[in-house]
Amino acid sequence: MAVVDVHRFAESITCHAWSPDHSMVAFCPNNNEVHIYKSSQDQWERLHVLEKHDQIVSGIDWSSKSNKIVTVSHDRNSYVWSLEGGEWVPTLVILRLNRAALCVQWSPKENKFAVGSGAKTVCICYYEQENNWWVSKLIRKRHESSVTNVAWHPNNILLATTSTDGKCRVFSTFIKGVDTKDPKAGSPAESKFGEQILQLDLSYSWAFGVKWSPSGNTLAYVGHSSMIYFVDDVGPSPLAQSVAFRDLPLRDVLFISEKMVIGVGYDSNPMVFAADDTGIWSFIRYIGEKKAVSSGSSYSSQFSEAFTKFYGQSKATTANEASESSKSRGGVHDNCINSIVPLSKAESPKVMRFSTSGLDGKIAIWDLENMEEELGHQF
Amino acid sequence: MAGAGGFVEADNAEAIIARIETKSSKIESLLKQYKPVEALKTALEGSPPKTLDERCKSANWIVVHRALMAIKDIEGMLNALDVEYYDILMKYLYRGLSTGDRPTCDQCLKIHEKLTERAGLGCILRCLTDTINTV
Repeated sequence: MAVVDVHRFAESITCHAWSPDHSMVAFCPNNNEVHIYKSSQDQWERLHVLEKHDQIVSGIDWSSKSNKIVTVSHDRNSYVWSLEGGEWVPTLVILRLNRAALCVQWSPKENKFAVGSGAKTVCICYYEQENNWWVSKLIRKRHESSVTNVAWHPNNILLATTSTDGKCRVFSTFIKGVDTKDPKAGSPAESKFGEQILQLDLSYSWAFGVKWSPSGNTLAYVGHSSMIYFVDDVGPSPLAQSVAFRDLPLRDVLFISEKMVIGVGYDSNPMVFAADDTGIWSFIRYIGEKKAVSSGSSYSSQFSEAFTKFYGQSKATTANEASESSKSRGGVHDNCINSIVPLSKAESPKVMRFSTSGLDGKIAIWDLENMEEELGHQF
Repeated sequence: MAGAGGFVEADNAEAIIARIETKSSKIESLLKQYKPVEALKTALEGSPPKTLDERCKSANWIVVHRALMAIKDIEGMLNALDVEYYDILMKYLYRGLSTGDRPTCDQCLKIHEKLTERAGLGCILRCLTDTINTV
């Protein structure tokens, strides 16, 4: 389990996505542009700069089969870019939003994409062949606050959303003419567009980062209160578990397999969570080896200074070991990790490689080669 | 979400206050027997977070405060306390710090330092973000 490659592309990276063959990466360097870099012989060279948005590009997704890039931005717009003759050509998608767009994801079949926004709505966009443009349908009901993340279920119809009202909801996004009704699965009631299937009230604080497991049986999302929530058997009677952990909250999660989840966030070090045989989820370890430091310096230098001042208010406390201000996080990222993207072939059930990007402007690629031996754990 | 689903209405508040009073006498006796750790455990158990009534919360705070101030051996106390009480204890520590009263704050800071070492920053985060279950 190690970092394969780290590269600092910019001051800060908002979001990133990989090309189908994983040779090119598109990211937003915290401004209104999208940069596309190609890796060749250990060097990264910039190929394209996509400049169409007026404000920060908050979400990028690159479809693997149709090779299209969708970008959404705080300027309430979305563009679908296609590669024509070596240049990326944008097509405007009118989302009909009156607030910023926050996140975007292509559906598994890549015929739709979902956009979460600050307008308390989710836009589902699909391509209309007759008019040759993308149409957006809005899910206006239910959300009481900004929609921070969206995640598609493998069946291409169910969509999970997390919001700053703390709740995670699952909706049906069945669109006549685009989706085909599976005769075996799902009752007619579920097939109505915008129908809420499930609402999870596990979190008291903002919810971020939601993902489905590869089979679609389990859902994981994180709350800003340093908790991660796992829901098995999503449906009429779900089984929910809340796992509280020691350190700073997470921002995004990724399912490596049915039983293992990697979470990334403000600790700048990915965390591994796994379910044991009885189905109970728990925190296993950090991915990077944390040096076994004494308790005094287990916070970064910033924190120990603040704590000294805090405890120094009390006359009775002894002096803290503030001199040991080691930059102990000592990991790959120096700042909050914003997003985690899988880097495996779509057919394999386990994700062996993934990449993370963060506010420090770095993109790191991780490989999980020897993970099973290191953990002593099946996954 | 005042008074809706799961929150205790005003009439039940009387029952809670009565419970807190029995708890308080139990704690007084435990403190007299020089068992401050037990006293704190009793005080934290059955904390009524899901009630909106300020009187219940204040009543419980007085009881917890009494037990907190009596603690001398912080490490021992944290060893004896179950992990699930860390979050509740942290909330009471912050309530103590907000009083601004010198001896209370001194004691709360001392306990805060040790509790953070054990429970981590996540514990503090849970106190800050939880606006529904306040003490």
